Amino acid sequence: MLKRLVRWSRIKSPWILHLNSGACNACDIEIIAALTPRFDVERLGVLLKATPRHADVLVCSGPVTRQMKDRLVRIYEQTPDPKFVVAVGACALAGCVYRGSYNVLGGIDQVLPVDVYVPGCPARPDAILDGVVKLLGKL
Amino acid sequence: MKFQIPIGPQHPALKEPLSLRMTVEGEVIRDADLRLGYNHRGMEKLAEQRTYLQNIYLTERICGICSHSHTTCFVQGAEKLMEVEPPRRGLYLRYVVAELERVHSHLLWLGVAGHEAGFDSFFMYVWRDREIVMDILEMISGNRVHYAINTLGGVRRDIDEALRQKILDFLGILRTRTDYYFKLGVNEPSFVARLAGVGYLSKEDAIALCAVGPTTRASGVAFDVRRDDPHGVYGEVPFEVCTADSCDVLGRTVVRIKEILQSYNIIEYLLRNLPDGPVAVKAPRRAKPGEVVARYEAPRGENIHYIKANGSDKPERLKVRAPTLGNYAATLVMLKNGFIADIPLIFAAIDPCICCAERTVELVDGRSGRPTIVRWSELRRMAARRAGRVSKKRNVEWPL
Amino acid sequence: MNDLERVERIKAALGERAVEITNPAPQRIFLTVPVQALVPALEQLKTELGYRHLSTISGVDMGDVFEILYHIGYVGGNLNVRTRIPKAVPRLPSVCSVIPGAILYEREIQDMFGIIVDGIPDGRPLLLSDDWPAGVHPLRKDWTPTRPEEKIPGGKS
Repeated sequence: MLKRLVRWSRIKSPWILHLNSGACNACDIEIIAALTPRFDVERLGVLLKATPRHADVLVCSGPVTRQMKDRLVRIYEQTPDPKFVVAVGACALAGCVYRGSYNVLGGIDQVLPVDVYVPGCPARPDAILDGVVKLLGKL
Repeated sequence: MKFQIPIGPQHPALKEPLSLRMTVEGEVIRDADLRLGYNHRGMEKLAEQRTYLQNIYLTERICGICSHSHTTCFVQGAEKLMEVEPPRRGLYLRYVVAELERVHSHLLWLGVAGHEAGFDSFFMYVWRDREIVMDILEMISGNRVHYAINTLGGVRRDIDEALRQKILDFLGILRTRTDYYFKLGVNEPSFVARLAGVGYLSKEDAIALCAVGPTTRASGVAFDVRRDDPHGVYGEVPFEVCTADSCDVLGRTVVRIKEILQSYNIIEYLLRNLPDGPVAVKAPRRAKPGEVVARYEAPRGENIHYIKANGSDKPERLKVRAPTLGNYAATLVMLKNGFIADIPLIFAAIDPCICCAERTVELVDGRSGRPTIVRWSELRRMAARRAGRVSKKRNVEWPL
Repeated sequence: MNDLERVERIKAALGERAVEITNPAPQRIFLTVPVQALVPALEQLKTELGYRHLSTISGVDMGDVFEILYHIGYVGGNLNVRTRIPKAVPRLPSVCSVIPGAILYEREIQDMFGIIVDGIPDGRPLLLSDDWPAGVHPLRKDWTPTRPEEKIPGGKS
């Protein structure tokens, strides 16, 4: 009974943490723009949190640079279970224009297990919302 | 008693990984240090393996907020190497998009400054109006960010009469909204008092440390590449260089607001005097051997690209120096003798585009040498608490 | 004053330190100095002629020499001071005593090319990651990056 309640609250109100691992910033501005009055993701119960300990969903953007790799893994481990990872933007999928550079390892899935991929360069806020909603449908 | 505190790469306020290391004594910062490299993607090496046309798309993705400034700078240089002159209409359209990007970037910054000072409703208002600018850009180019409208020899898309009229109408709406924000500044003394006196950078320091952009214009140094090194249409468009004398974050806010108004005037002038004709000419694949230096005034400061060509269709060397890297040395000086709670505000005041220049910030505890991680959210909460204490003490006038 | 007058004034001030001075395009002046005369020449340019804003320092790998360019901006254009150092002995004097804002650009040159800057106040690496192998400098022409192994989730490869 309690499990159903917890599951309902997790679906109705996921708290997200925004992680940037070396991106050009466009996807990050679109993630922040998703909170602003035009797209307004807070009406769906999604809150942008400051620390990984409070988050349910990690929204990551950017290709993984060598310097950021250990920090990404550490933050992933600091997030309590159950957790989900959303990779936003073409950089997070496979590296976008930076594939082959000496400091870039590729997409986020080289380091963390990813649940939802949102393509685009940058991904529109509507597409990010769509990705989060599809994730909730999987739960 | 000195402590060193690191502010680690992940934090909620700024959107990019950066690591600062500060030595603090109580709440006053004695020394600051930074660690760059979290965002280093090896652009310059990648650019040597791609042709000039492919490099336009690569330089665009150096930064998401000032993407058009990097492509325009690169294309200005490459066109000089290939001895190609874009037609007048193409040039005018290129700079219309450039000034629209300046408007959107400054509005973004205003929202972020409000957010860091604790004024969240201002943040929401400004970003709602920024969406109007994104709509205009989407109508012109097809994408909200990374417009890809530049090509070697001109621009890729044209605008018709209906679209031109629509942009002028939207500009009118934007002007009334921006006027509303400036009146808000006058009537909101706690916001003004929060920004005044924070992050002081004297005129001599700004010149000696080679700071660029609104950071240095707020210290009274009238350095603007659009006037000093006229490129494109800036030789014929009338505009003023905006400066302020207060050398602190309030001055930087005032400079940016004045620049938004100047940009509206420039866009109107360009659209009303748009000449007819083609928008692009065909450019050759190869560039003759030579070298060129291209400079451009991005929203954050002076952007400089150095291209060396060796006769093939790939550049021999591309060197990019984005504006925020030029402001770093000045930021370290601004942080000394400030308060910890002012860190988000000082940092936001230089309008950091970390991806443009790869930065990180870590605070290191002075006495024990042990690094502790302070989350940016902690700093912002401290900043908000300090804002509550400050409003009664200072009596500052809104200078506009 | 226009470009030609500037070129004359620089020639008169620097004398034999200026090996070569050209004006290939409007608002662009290129000046070559030998590396021993670099710091005194920049000092003279700053105090006597007022060139004090350093935009950046770029380096080019030309095979057996490194070409280092100091880009200085002034009201009306851009002055580029060029100097050459051999690749076998890559040593460069630091200009931070003349222009304090040059520190970050010199650290970047150290990282990317392996040039040793003498007298730099703070010579830590700037851009490369903590686990970067020492002695490897990315922007040299004789180094090509090897692409890292890519794993595809789901098991296919």
